[in-house]
Amino acid sequence: MPKKFTIPTYLAFGWLTLAGLMAIFGSFLPVDSYQTIHGDFLDAPPLTGGHLFGVDSNGYDIFSGIINGARLSLFVAIFTVGIGGFIGSFLGVTGAYFRGRYDSVVSTGFNVVLSVPNLVLALALVAVLATNVDVNEAVAPWRRLTTLMISLTIVIIPILGRIARAATLAWSGREFVTAARSMGMRDRHIIWRHIVPNVLPALIAVGFLAVGVVIIAEASLSLLGVGIPDGASWGGMIARGRNDLEYNPHALYFPIVALALTVICTNHVGDVMRGRLDRREARL
Amino acid sequence: MSAVMSIKSMSIKFATPRGLLEAVRDVSIDIPAGSSVGIVGESGSGKTVLSRAAMGLLSGSNVQREGKIVFDGKELSAMTREQVRNEFGTGMAMIFQDPMTALNPVRRIGAQLAESLQIRLGMDKKAAKIRSAELLALVRIPDPEAMLRKFPYQLSGGMRQRVMIAIAISCNPKLLFADEPTTALDVTVQSQILQLLSELRRDLNMSMVLVTHDLGVVAGNTDYVAVMYAGEIVEQASTVDLFANMKMPYTEALLNSIPKINMQSGARLQVIEGRLPDPTQRPSGCGFAARCSYVQAKCTAEHPPLVDAGNGHLYRCWFPLGNTIARKQ
Repeated sequence: MPKKFTIPTYLAFGWLTLAGLMAIFGSFLPVDSYQTIHGDFLDAPPLTGGHLFGVDSNGYDIFSGIINGARLSLFVAIFTVGIGGFIGSFLGVTGAYFRGRYDSVVSTGFNVVLSVPNLVLALALVAVLATNVDVNEAVAPWRRLTTLMISLTIVIIPILGRIARAATLAWSGREFVTAARSMGMRDRHIIWRHIVPNVLPALIAVGFLAVGVVIIAEASLSLLGVGIPDGASWGGMIARGRNDLEYNPHALYFPIVALALTVICTNHVGDVMRGRLDRREARL
Repeated sequence: MSAVMSIKSMSIKFATPRGLLEAVRDVSIDIPAGSSVGIVGESGSGKTVLSRAAMGLLSGSNVQREGKIVFDGKELSAMTREQVRNEFGTGMAMIFQDPMTALNPVRRIGAQLAESLQIRLGMDKKAAKIRSAELLALVRIPDPEAMLRKFPYQLSGGMRQRVMIAIAISCNPKLLFADEPTTALDVTVQSQILQLLSELRRDLNMSMVLVTHDLGVVAGNTDYVAVMYAGEIVEQASTVDLFANMKMPYTEALLNSIPKINMQSGARLQVIEGRLPDPTQRPSGCGFAARCSYVQAKCTAEHPPLVDAGNGHLYRCWFPLGNTIARKQ
């Protein structure tokens, strides 16, 4: 029988749920827009003038920023891991199942992308794709966001694709795959019904870890000035607040804590998931 | 008698880094309709490769096939992959050696049984479920409805092998390959499974190829026997004739290495000394010469052909047993 979750796991679920709710329903909360400037409360410490987390040096309410940042950070992370994971898994699973030249091309591609450090790759892609020919002309925010997500997706594809490929290699050599073939099942059916259910647990676990990787990558890119524009994500808030660290540290604390908590929680949940979903195989 | 499957001079080679590995060498065999044929040999003699290749399940870029396989009047070796797939399940099916790995661990028994019924026989979900329960009852599984909802890990080895059999017979195949169906099971379960297979074969009018390393299994469950050694058929006869009138020293040695019930305790079990010849470097003479207790000069020099002793009893030996000259020397 499945063991009960431990307290840290419940806490992790709790925080992720809260962050998810902030992301989905944050705009309905009775707080000011994150872009409202509170000129009277510049650098206000937490719990003053109705500003729960205080106000930063630009007059932006930090609580509103955190809520809005949850939406952007989580949206970017889940979207890129979803799309990148899907493409990567598709390539990895089909490559490992059919083998041959197709597989060589796929795994070589993975290795090439993996050989470049994540952040450098994303930075390079953003720098190349999100610039105008005329450098004085501003790049539209939507284009920077799209470019950022495409870059992060490219980073994610080989990470999940490699896991999918390795797991498929192990499972497709199993007798039940031959057995399914001997009953006249088509390759598509075998992959979908026999391989994917076995590969999925590993992918879900690594997918959670990848969410953490993407959140950090996005924050790092923001810190470098090529992330989501206008400091709208958690990483962007950190980037904006770092200059005022000496006299307004709380502008940094809150987004950092939110970011760290989210990454720790996704890692922990990924770990727990793997143990949980692998159980059936362990009991075989 | 017409043959449901007839294999003509089939050779299977694998390209390996050490050279060409000849796993099956010039094998011809007919599977008569409605009968049961045993393929016997020690590990590495090529019996599993033969059965997989006969069914067209060998894949991979390093496999080289030769020869002709005719199944049910159609030449399998000339058919496309798609056409061969249409024969799977409904024409021929296979039971695998290890019931622990031949079922998908994350899917329920019912789903695994129903998939071939739905996809190959076009049944709808409800009909497939009813038929699945019937099939489980047919292989003597108690409370089939409850079994449909179970996962493989909840079943014992014997139960899983019964489920495997149920899956294999689900589309009424004409020919059933059983690749060491009882090797992974203990002896009491083994006899139950073999008996079940024999009964099913009779009731469903199937032919069966029983691949095993155990001559004892073959004796009670087959009509014909082919003994394989180093990828070749070395003796082939009806089961009765083979046991009454053995020609090959190898067959005799296999039989002698089965423990006997009346053996004195502490007595040493007879074994066949030595190993199979390296399949990448075959000896020029008889493959068994190095291990044979009746070996003569001619055995190591020349490769014996498969000869017919009359009445369809084939053997591959220069000095067959029962031949007084060979016995004397």
